Amino acid sequence: MIWEVFRQEQRGKYHTHCGNVHAPDKEMALMFAQIQHGRRRPTHSLWVTPRDEIGEVDAEETRFGGTTDKSYRWASTFNTDEDFAAEIAASQREQEAAERERAEQDGGAERGSDAEQGAEEGESA
Amino acid sequence: MSTETTGLGTPESLTDAEREAVEAELRPLADGEFVLAERYTEWQVQAPTLESDLAISNIAQDELGHARLWYDLLEDFGYTEADLIWEASPGEFRHPTLVELPFAEGDWADAIVRGYLYDAYESRHLHALEGTSYPRIADRVGKVLAEEDYHTQHARNWLSRLCDDEPGRERVQNALDRLFPYALTLFAETEHEDAIVEMRIRTESLAAMRGEWLEVVVPRLESLGLSVPASEDGEVLVDLPDQVGKDGSHTEHWPELLEEFTRTYRKLELGEPPRLLEDPNEA
Repeated sequence: MIWEVFRQEQRGKYHTHCGNVHAPDKEMALMFAQIQHGRRRPTHSLWVTPRDEIGEVDAEETRFGGTTDKSYRWASTFNTDEDFAAEIAASQREQEAAERERAEQDGGAERGSDAEQGAEEGESA
Repeated sequence: MSTETTGLGTPESLTDAEREAVEAELRPLADGEFVLAERYTEWQVQAPTLESDLAISNIAQDELGHARLWYDLLEDFGYTEADLIWEASPGEFRHPTLVELPFAEGDWADAIVRGYLYDAYESRHLHALEGTSYPRIADRVGKVLAEEDYHTQHARNWLSRLCDDEPGRERVQNALDRLFPYALTLFAETEHEDAIVEMRIRTESLAAMRGEWLEVVVPRLESLGLSVPASEDGEVLVDLPDQVGKDGSHTEHWPELLEEFTRTYRKLELGEPPRLLEDPNEA
């Protein structure tokens, strides 16, 4: 029988899954888990649970509550995905062209404007 | 930990008689742990499951660690590890013969019964050392005791599982019949027994420890449906084996085992054993 083992490093933290042990019952599972999963890392507590008692549902079976793509919520920069809409791609090209033009005209002279700053960054990238 | 005002001092300050008694107490203890661990390691890669393999290897490692702590105290008196182990003759070892017996192939019940009988004795022995008059021993008892709980739990858990059905119980009974007389060697007295107790190097006599051990071991084994050749009030129905170990007499299996685990040492012509860990005094 397989028992899944969850380790808690410090009091108050979550128990996280760390592996499993083969054991005939809970007492033996706890005994083996101490050596196999508690011994080499800081451990405050261990849980064991029969693998069969764990319920599972995965992405093939469900959409986890909805169809809306909420990946935009994870945006960590302001770079926008151009493929999202033709307008965005067009606008992006337009700005790049304009920045290139300005940079050629000024030959790298100091201007201090925000647009200039943006152009330099764009080219070096 | 406070010791008696009449306590013994540093290793250098002991009288000859005190030193002899301390040595007589430590030698069987150190050898017992060492040889038991040596036998346990034979189960490595052979135990019934991966999990039980890791558990018994871990216990073997603990026992080796304990042996090291006790040998180190013998080294206070000028012995080297080579004197004590690698170049010692079979008769210099004083472990009880229980721990040197070989396992029959695949006889896991033997390992468990042996471990149970030994651990039940060891924890009693350690408790009898908690109030020792010799500070060097007192310093180390706590660390050893802390690891003993797992060993006892391990042995008890396995024992009750093995005794769950008739074929298993039969195997345990066979091991018990074979090992019980040898387990009594754990409590065999040496000529230094009176001195050890009088100087309070150990605060309990071996006879008293044996009584307590029987009070615990007999009812537990009987509750598992096993028959024990002794009663919990101290009556013992079997004789000590001819070879007791603690007096230097050993079974024919011992020289063989000693030869085996010192082979590499001799083959490589090592002047002294390689050290992997720092000395316990510095650790």
